Amino acid sequence: MTIFGFVRKNMFRKKLRAILMLAATFIAFLIFGVLMAFFNAFNSGTENAAADRMVVVNKINFTQTMPFAYFNRVKAIEGVELAGHANWFGGYYQDPKNQIPVFAVSPEEYLDLYPEWIIEDEVRDAFLSDRTALLIGADLALRLGIEVGTQIPMFSNIYSHKDGGNSWSFNVVGLIEGRDKDTPTANVIFHYDYFNETITFGQDNIGWMVVRTASPDLNDVVAERIDTQFANSQAETKTSSEKAFNKAFIAQLGNITLIVGLVVGAAFLTILMIVGNTMVMSIRERTKEIGVLKTLGFSSPRILRMVLAESLLLSFVGGLLGMGVATLIVAVMSVLLQGFIPGMAVGADVFLQALGIMFILGLITGLPPALTAMRLPIVKALSRG
Amino acid sequence: MKSMMLQIIAVLTINIKSLPQRFWMSTSTIGAVALVVAVLLGFLAMANGFQKTISGTGSQDTAIVLREGSQAELNSVISRPDQRIIEEAPGVARQNGAPVASGELYVVVDGVKKASQTEANLPLRGVGPMGLNVREGFKITKGRMFASGSNEVVAGAALLREFSGFELGRTVRFGTSEWKVVGVFEANGSIFESELWADLPVVQSLFNRGSAVQVMRLGLSGQNTLEDMKSYLLEDQNLDLDIYTEQDYFAEQASQTTNFIQYLGWPLGVAMALGALAGALNTMYSSVASRASEIATLRAIGFSGFSAFVGTLAEALVLSAMGAVLGVLIAWAFFDGISTSTLGASFTQVVFTFELSLDVIVQALILALAIGLIGGILPAVRAARQNVAAAFQTAE
Repeated sequence: MTIFGFVRKNMFRKKLRAILMLAATFIAFLIFGVLMAFFNAFNSGTENAAADRMVVVNKINFTQTMPFAYFNRVKAIEGVELAGHANWFGGYYQDPKNQIPVFAVSPEEYLDLYPEWIIEDEVRDAFLSDRTALLIGADLALRLGIEVGTQIPMFSNIYSHKDGGNSWSFNVVGLIEGRDKDTPTANVIFHYDYFNETITFGQDNIGWMVVRTASPDLNDVVAERIDTQFANSQAETKTSSEKAFNKAFIAQLGNITLIVGLVVGAAFLTILMIVGNTMVMSIRERTKEIGVLKTLGFSSPRILRMVLAESLLLSFVGGLLGMGVATLIVAVMSVLLQGFIPGMAVGADVFLQALGIMFILGLITGLPPALTAMRLPIVKALSRG
Repeated sequence: MKSMMLQIIAVLTINIKSLPQRFWMSTSTIGAVALVVAVLLGFLAMANGFQKTISGTGSQDTAIVLREGSQAELNSVISRPDQRIIEEAPGVARQNGAPVASGELYVVVDGVKKASQTEANLPLRGVGPMGLNVREGFKITKGRMFASGSNEVVAGAALLREFSGFELGRTVRFGTSEWKVVGVFEANGSIFESELWADLPVVQSLFNRGSAVQVMRLGLSGQNTLEDMKSYLLEDQNLDLDIYTEQDYFAEQASQTTNFIQYLGWPLGVAMALGALAGALNTMYSSVASRASEIATLRAIGFSGFSAFVGTLAEALVLSAMGAVLGVLIAWAFFDGISTSTLGASFTQVVFTFELSLDVIVQALILALAIGLIGGILPAVRAARQNVAAAFQTAE
């Protein structure tokens, strides 16, 4: 019998007990995998932020607007390579509860600012040449069942149309696809001019600007230049990197890092207690056997390795099963939650972390009984039980 | 019947008294159940506290009028001519002949969240003289109320707990205007305590809103007057409005976040409970195995299998109950009363505290006892069915 076969036999000597231990480990890693996928999706705005993009908002708060004239002034500032602007439309589709992120933007600049959006050339031309055109993120279009080539009404929960009502008609000319899997595509964009000409109040104001600098190293200098330009004006600005802006926004939701940390910590502490105790018990039951092995000439370090191998095997089998099922669950959820929490996936980094935890968990649960077994004098072992 | 009871009591006593012999296994089960209960209670207390803050805000006697489809105060706009029509609607209470109608402005300004040191959306509400007549329990606890016509603000007590930038006596700048914080207020622990308040006309002019307001609150003159008001205002073709009682409005606002927290908390709680269940089953099977000769002895001297069953099941229930109590204590010590804030439905921060309630604790206890029950029943069946002769043979 090989050593591995021996370890495996030992682990399953009480089948039910082994299965229960595997189940407990499985659950903890399942929770870990799913929560981390959620957590990373929440933070994707920070992770995916382009280093050379900055956001210029009204200093009072980003929901306050600023005059359209600021746009031309920002474009002229040294170090600004490209600038675009956007307004929050407060859009909803069909039902007021069905709120979606709809932005009225400077069309050409905006598309150029987001190279992670993949838009076919014909679609781009169609969008730029039609003032009532609209581009919709592929995930969102799928969720709402909106098809390319149709004309749809989009409602605003803020603005009124000058012809009455709060509905705007748009030509859906194409989809925004993500460059890679975790690029969120849940936005809708349309022409600022169409917006500005049809609203009943708030004309000639823009919500915020997105600025690309010549190099990320220039960010601080350019931000300073922009904010100085508008200091003491009726709408002072605050310029920050896209990453910092997204990070502050996520922090508004609450301390998600702390919550995820506490739950994952509690889950692992639970199995640490359960599996740790069971390992101690199962090795104690085998005291006599260990004495026999030692009599046969098995060295103490070898005994230590055998016991550790058993706890590691348990941890890795349970953990890998848990991560596998977590991947499946997240795959299903990412389809169901498309458009709500885009970009949910169990990434390679989460898997690596999980492997690390499996290793540590196996060591911690196995080490105390392994050390006991290693130090056990033969005479004592054989005389017990 | 009586002898059965006595048997059960005897077995129970033996099982419970022998718990310390299986100290570490029993402790791990108690600990596992405690952690399950604490995690679930954390989420439920969060949802409960949030809901209490928001739904505690709404009054049944106040109507809230928003532009149609706007869903939240932040998005709504009501022009001056429309305000006039709304004020004169049937069902609006009157005080000294004047309609109890409060037009209010709701703009978002930046504060700094103390916990993360990042900027956060705080609501600045412009209120007129009628603002206090449509709210109960508003009182200034420090400083004084803002003077009408001046650039002065008062800050809610809850807001000051979580955010910096608006301390009493401080001057803040919004655009080109400077404002002084002259007072701190409380409002029955409602959502209004997460707000900044200032004089309506001043906010209108300094934020370039002309004479428009965003929301109107109306005192209702009687019990069923909301329907009259609705039919009058909603029939007017020139007005596009939504009307709710303030209570319904805030209940709706609370539901989304509360549901989200619960949808997150319950599956996590149940998943962890399954992990703890594996631990409980393991503990109880070992308990039955270690007591094999003891159970056999009892059976041999005439105890029934049923008493062995009940004894084992009771042991599992006692362990899970101890875990549950420990979990409640952990939750009470660490979570209860913690103040925090999140982004509410109006896109501004809502300050609330984690709040354990009897209802919430009962839900967690049920989950804990379910672990004990399921974790006890299978091993208990094994204990009851144990073959007496075989048990004596294997027990060396």
